[in-house]
Amino acid sequence: MNYFEIFGLEEKFSVDLDQLTERFQAIQKSVHPDRFAHASSQEQLLAVKKSTAVNDAYQTLKKPIKRAEYILSLRGVEIPNEQVTFSDNMFLMRQMELREMLAEVKFADDVDAAVFEVTQVLEIEFEQLFKAMQVLLFENSESSNKEACENLRKLKFYQKLHLELDRLEDLLFDD
Amino acid sequence: MALLQIAEPGQSTVPHEHRLAVGIDLGTTNSLVATVKSGLSETIVDSNGDDILPSVVSYQKDEILVGNKAKALAIIDPENTIVSAKRLIGRSHTDIQKKYHSLPYQFCGDENHPSFVTRSGKINPVQVSAEILKTLSQRAQDALGGELTGVVITVPAYFDDAQRQSTKDAATLAGVNVLRLLNEPTAAAVAYGLDNEHEGQQEGIIAVYDLGGGTFDISILRLNKGVFEVLATGGDSALGGDDFDVAIVDYLIEQANLQRPLSPSMERQLLDQACKAKEALTLSNSYQVVLTLAENEQWSTDISKEQFELLIKPLVNKTLRACRRALKDADIEVCAVKEVVMVGGSTRVPLVRAETEKYFDKTPLTSIDPDKVVAIGAAIQADILAGNKPDNDMLLLDVIPLSLGLETMGGLVEKVISRNTTIPVAKAQEFTTFKDGQTAMVIHVLQGERELVDDCRSLARFELRGIPAMTAGAAHIRVTFKVDADGLLEVSAMEKSTGVEASIEVKPSFGLAEDEITKMLKASMTNATEDMQARMLKEQQVEAARVIESVQSALNTDSHLLSEQENLVINEAISSLAKITQGTVVEDIEKAIEKLNHHTATFAEKRMDASIKTALSGQTVDNI
Repeated sequence: MNYFEIFGLEEKFSVDLDQLTERFQAIQKSVHPDRFAHASSQEQLLAVKKSTAVNDAYQTLKKPIKRAEYILSLRGVEIPNEQVTFSDNMFLMRQMELREMLAEVKFADDVDAAVFEVTQVLEIEFEQLFKAMQVLLFENSESSNKEACENLRKLKFYQKLHLELDRLEDLLFDD
Repeated sequence: MALLQIAEPGQSTVPHEHRLAVGIDLGTTNSLVATVKSGLSETIVDSNGDDILPSVVSYQKDEILVGNKAKALAIIDPENTIVSAKRLIGRSHTDIQKKYHSLPYQFCGDENHPSFVTRSGKINPVQVSAEILKTLSQRAQDALGGELTGVVITVPAYFDDAQRQSTKDAATLAGVNVLRLLNEPTAAAVAYGLDNEHEGQQEGIIAVYDLGGGTFDISILRLNKGVFEVLATGGDSALGGDDFDVAIVDYLIEQANLQRPLSPSMERQLLDQACKAKEALTLSNSYQVVLTLAENEQWSTDISKEQFELLIKPLVNKTLRACRRALKDADIEVCAVKEVVMVGGSTRVPLVRAETEKYFDKTPLTSIDPDKVVAIGAAIQADILAGNKPDNDMLLLDVIPLSLGLETMGGLVEKVISRNTTIPVAKAQEFTTFKDGQTAMVIHVLQGERELVDDCRSLARFELRGIPAMTAGAAHIRVTFKVDADGLLEVSAMEKSTGVEASIEVKPSFGLAEDEITKMLKASMTNATEDMQARMLKEQQVEAARVIESVQSALNTDSHLLSEQENLVINEAISSLAKITQGTVVEDIEKAIEKLNHHTATFAEKRMDASIKTALSGQTVDNI
């Protein structure tokens, strides 16, 4: 059973998150190990196995980036390794610029404002790429899927930068 | 005419027997036990009418004292009286020395397995916790008049794997059957969420701020139709009210011009005064500290509330930073938090309440006693897990507090499961060999958020042997991390291309190896071999009864999923197990259980899949 089938959902990128969550919770109510705490060891093990699978499916479908990656893998498109560089030269340039921006945050006169500004830039560009990927995934042709995969890799780069920014923020504002 | 009785379809024909189950709040400073009686969860008192048991164990010549009697000896016999052992459980010697420089104990044992030297010999923190668990479970059995089916023990949400495992080991030593390790804030949320009397059934986002004696937890939960979903958790497993005391002690030492090192009893006296000052300053504006520095030499000073708040402000700020991070992890804005629940005795400190209120912009909920709310919630969960409420549809979805990973080349940590992932969870990662013909590899399991191995917590080292010799990079070793519903990690590994299950030797970095627990268990029994044998027999008999009961109730509802032949085989296996259980041969019972399990494996799987379908169809119908 693929993740969409587990929740009885149509195999497409746009997912009704409330519906997903409700179905997830309904299923967990019947398979969670807590339901089997007084049952035999065999049933307990089985419950852990089922509950784990359902959790995994839910976590994957809940997060748009993971969901996109999963859909692409169902369509036979595998995401290349993180180390593989982008063939898009424009984006390579942008990557460097963004890295520089991030590196300069801690030297800014007003660190708060600098963090805010970088966050804004990251979010706007992420949003644009995300929308483009949505359209490509909807089209679902060989070439559009390939392009969606490139977009997804870029989105993952933005996500990583965002994480680094969070870490930097924690570092700067902690004693 | 006598009427024939017919059971409701789907219900067992056996009359429902109430199983005794309790929740234990194993706290740093105080511990409690609670149970659900006629629908109400309440704490159980001892023969003196006290429900709070100080988490203090004193090793005296002929006896081990626990609770108030032990606490009374803390100043006069500090070396043999272990206070706040929870702060030391699952910790290394260096951790302890760095954090608590003024502990009055004599330590022994190696770096990662510190023990106390007491007059009863070497005692480790797991054994100390086991004494507290024993005392509370005995209290519960006396009060409830029977043996306990199982207990739910609460742990700080921010406890790492070593600390959780050590807590479970303590339960094993105490001879207590653990139904679940439950996170303290989640337990508090259950107590409030299901508390109709005070606030009505809660829905929406709640934050649980839990500041105990030695630990701080913040959990962000979403409550919806009986489901308690933890969105994020954070905290500090070494920050609590005890640190407020330490701050006062350091201040007193400075004011009184004392020099460390001080004698153990002087340290205790200082701590005792500090703790009294903290408690007094909850209500009044100043407190007079009196210290006996030497015989006939007294020293005293007044501590004002302002001074106290100045001392603890940095610690309170630290908790608020953890709140901010947890909200961020949960992707929730502060204003979306509907209720803030206060848990733990240290939330009585006015500054803590005021600052929390300011941060969340909400009056925190304190209607359930912050000292008891965790035990009360744990008891509710215990009652459900024991099977006393088959129709209850409460569900707790908890998370792991800290990321889990493996060491890779260059001392870096590769994360396998990230923090705040819902449990149970399993994730696999593939590795390959570095050299031609390599047949073994060391896998180092770590927990924490940082990138460098040295900044994370080492959980265990695995030696993987029996990898078939291949050229470098050709072997595919799949390492699987599994975290169960207790938040405990299990790691396994397999070479993929050949399917060889590599043998694994687990060396927990902290805490005890399994054979050490068995050894300690044996040592604690008077007739070790016979007692162990009796214990094993009883465990197997309990498991056999559980298996028979669950298969029978499964047959009652779902026998239509089986062919006549399958039905027959299963029924035969049940009768044979029931007969063998009457005997005393552990191995035979084990085998009979295995046989029945074997015959019901597909049946169990079919039933679970059917229940998923039912759950889903209920959903789809609801949504039309």
